[in-house]
Amino acid sequence: MTELRLAELNRIFLVGRLTKDPEVRQTTNGTPVANFTIAVNRRYKNAAGEWKDETTFVGIVAWQKLAELCKQYLAKGRAVLVEGKLQSRSWETEDGQKRSLLEVRADRVEFLDRGDSRPAAEPAAGAPAEAPEPAGPTPGPQVDDDLPF
Amino acid sequence: MSDLRIPTLNRVLLAGRLTRDPELKFTAGGIAVCNFALAVNRRYKDQTGQWRDEATFVNIVTWHKAAETINKYLHKGSPVVVEGRLESRSWETETGQKRSVLEVRADQVRFLEKSESSPDATLPDDPA
Repeated sequence: MTELRLAELNRIFLVGRLTKDPEVRQTTNGTPVANFTIAVNRRYKNAAGEWKDETTFVGIVAWQKLAELCKQYLAKGRAVLVEGKLQSRSWETEDGQKRSLLEVRADRVEFLDRGDSRPAAEPAAGAPAEAPEPAGPTPGPQVDDDLPF
Repeated sequence: MSDLRIPTLNRVLLAGRLTRDPELKFTAGGIAVCNFALAVNRRYKDQTGQWRDEATFVNIVTWHKAAETINKYLHKGSPVVVEGRLESRSWETETGQKRSVLEVRADQVRFLEKSESSPDATLPDDPA
């Protein structure tokens, strides 16, 4: 038998609501990038049998065409389904400490609210499902990014 | 048409290798908690057409029996597939600053090393 290599697997699916309007900027070479945070809720029964809500806040980053669609159609409070991958981003604080955080790089953002002027809730239609790497793969173009929070 | 409510959806699938040996602890109530970190690799072609590797480091937390199984069989470098959900954990630093990190709470950890004769660690989804 031949040896196997480890599969590349990094996939995440989340449904949540935007905590504020998306921030959309352009990198120095003009690639649009959108940042927003979604609140993902979970309801569970605690040990005493009571229902409790737990919220996880997740930073999302979208590039290119998807970033423009997010800017156009999303706002604080909107519900979305996000599909993408987890990635870490590192930076140095003003006093020289190293920090890093996990965020989701979205491949697909589906708008779940009715009444959007857009006919279908499939924003990525027409855009490639897996957007090609923006000018220079991940760490590069994000260096000039500041914190999403 | 009836109104829909927003579905609960928070699912993560990762394949990677442990960056260090797992750490097993017990809560005051005696529940086992095992933490480990996973390096998840991605290979891509850069603008010049060269292959590059990018690693994402993700902290994983597991509970109960599976926590003990993981601690027993896994070690630095072990390849695994992890399935679970993203959670945030908050704490205060010594200087009183609030910090929070995202980590994955695993429901299932599949051991990929051939020499591992043990079964996979499947965890009941139990809110602690």
